[in-house]
Amino acid sequence: MTPEAALRVKNLCKRYGEVRAVDDVSFEAGVGTVFTLLGPNGAGKTTTLEILEGIRHPDSGSLELFGVAMDRVGRVTKQRFGVLLQEGNFEQYLRVREVIELFASFFDASRSVDEILEMVALKDKARAYVKALSGGQKQRLALGAALVNDPDLVFLDEPTTGLDPQARRNIWTMTDGLRRQGKTILLTTHYMEEAESLSDTVCVMDHGRIIAQGTPRELTTSLDRETMIEFAVGDLDEADVEKLRGCCAAIRRQGELLTVETEELVPTMEAILEWARLNEVSVRNMVVRQPNLEDVFLSLTGRRLRE
Amino acid sequence: MNDVLRVARTHVLTAVRERITLFWFLIFPLLLLVLLSAIFGQIGRSGGMQFAVSLVDLDRGEERAFSDLVVRLFQTLASNEEASGEPLFALSLPGEDEDPTAFLETAREELLRGQRAAVVILPNGFGDAVLAGLGGASATPDAELRVLYAAGNAASEMARSIVLQVLARVDREILERAGRLDATTTVRTETSWVGGAGEQASYIDFLLPGIVLMGLFVNGLFGIPGSILFARERRILRRYWVTPLGVPRFLAGLSIGHVALCVVQFALLYAVGRFALGATVSFADAATVGLLVLAAATFMALGFVIASLAKTGNAGMAVANALNMPIMFLSGLFFPISGLPAALRVIVYINPASYLAAGLRARLGVDAATFPTALIVLVPLAWVAVAAVLVAVRMRWDVER
Repeated sequence: MTPEAALRVKNLCKRYGEVRAVDDVSFEAGVGTVFTLLGPNGAGKTTTLEILEGIRHPDSGSLELFGVAMDRVGRVTKQRFGVLLQEGNFEQYLRVREVIELFASFFDASRSVDEILEMVALKDKARAYVKALSGGQKQRLALGAALVNDPDLVFLDEPTTGLDPQARRNIWTMTDGLRRQGKTILLTTHYMEEAESLSDTVCVMDHGRIIAQGTPRELTTSLDRETMIEFAVGDLDEADVEKLRGCCAAIRRQGELLTVETEELVPTMEAILEWARLNEVSVRNMVVRQPNLEDVFLSLTGRRLRE
Repeated sequence: MNDVLRVARTHVLTAVRERITLFWFLIFPLLLLVLLSAIFGQIGRSGGMQFAVSLVDLDRGEERAFSDLVVRLFQTLASNEEASGEPLFALSLPGEDEDPTAFLETAREELLRGQRAAVVILPNGFGDAVLAGLGGASATPDAELRVLYAAGNAASEMARSIVLQVLARVDREILERAGRLDATTTVRTETSWVGGAGEQASYIDFLLPGIVLMGLFVNGLFGIPGSILFARERRILRRYWVTPLGVPRFLAGLSIGHVALCVVQFALLYAVGRFALGATVSFADAATVGLLVLAAATFMALGFVIASLAKTGNAGMAVANALNMPIMFLSGLFFPISGLPAALRVIVYINPASYLAAGLRARLGVDAATFPTALIVLVPLAWVAVAAVLVAVRMRWDVER
């Protein structure tokens, strides 16, 4: 791990009744890196983030932010935070500029309002009411409000959920820009593409626990498979699948989609085509790819990230 | 400090920009003020509309004294020389060179169009007829005054009673002058006008403090839970809590914004009451301002009580609605509360609005004080204390998991 950590968490626990929302979670995020909590809904990512943001208190565990150990995240620490909440809102009848002015007033030091509006590309919307903004514009406004104090540590909780591909790409570009400015970014997501393309470190979470941790590359190579062959088939008997299992050991079936993991691409591919011909199975949309974080999650939990 | 003021500004801006909020906070109290004073104010002595009455003197007879007397009586009442209040009606007479017959025609048309409430006609030979009547033994005079009213016109209906009152005086004066009647034994017709509150106060002076309190009440009861609860469930508040802005500074900003809204509302109601509706009460002394501040604080506290107890914004609004009517109507804001059944009196006695309304009216001299001064201050303060405890113990500033 990076010797210089913006954030250290040890043995963090948070229960809600019988549910262990966060169960003995430990990690550290190096300064200037993108640290991602990846997991399905309800994995405990958001609760972990909320504890770090100071809006929930852990039952046990220790926190260290910017090298300072603390029980609770206070006013002074929050001066250096930029937080993009999942499902946060602004007053509908405030103008874009007024929102940024409001949030700027909360901090001892802040960037100029125009600078922020420029950064999140909302300059021409400065006088528009919040209620008149599109989903993507609202999210950019939220990002602007989160970055108004030029924070050292940026929390992005599911920043692209519910956004269209264009708006999602915008957020990714901005996140990358922030990292290049030397900010530490704590990201949660259940999109493996997002985690893969943005993160320096990924923590895979499930049921409140961290089940794997490392760089995206480390995680995917940990699978010991070099190649994934993915293809769609029509209605298929389980017996047919069993026949395929005879030649290719690692097969996963998800509805119409079959995924075959292999270390030997050519023989496996031939075996599949042979199987298709003999059993009169129509194979469509065949893709050969590297393993991704979704595969990692699947192999660890037997479930997909979004189910 | 900047953050507190920005929160205050946000509260004000969002309140005045949202049409429905603006309506309830500003337009509704204003409408109620204008409507109530229009409905009840005109019956009183001031603040209402005046009846336009035309008087045409067509008497060309030899004896003019009686006709002149009638004209003078109408003029006196219209010009308000003897009455302490405002004139009962506006009188128009034909000009010096104006043809009385033509004036009569115009007046008759105006009556039909609803621009006049009544037209009084002194027919030719009126004076002679009065004289003849006085000379005769007949108890009923032969002389006849003609009065025209517009059928189905409410103003005409009211004018009729006023004109009848004037005519009764005409009758009496004539008899007195003729020495036929001892004035002291005459049964005088006294007309009292209902709708006014006290001896000096007109209805608008009674009404204005009530509406001012109602405005502060609605502001507090709906505005506070509205802005806290909806902002909480829409996770607007949560966005604040991840910044250095804490609850105390947010509360300070919210309160300042709330007071600013109250001041704007008061200024508007006062301006309309004073300059458009003729209220004479003045709120410009320390004790009155103190009472208004206490009222704003108390009603804001009631709002906080609701915000502390309600789980959602809609639930909060429902509670505010349920409390709105009993608190407002069982407080004497709009009418006196004596003679209520015991169960309802309990509400009156725990209702801070009762004390504030009584205190403010007594202070403004439009009604007698019905509660001791200490209670007027202490009961509302007790509510503020209850609210403070509830906010500290029960208020949830973020959505529950």
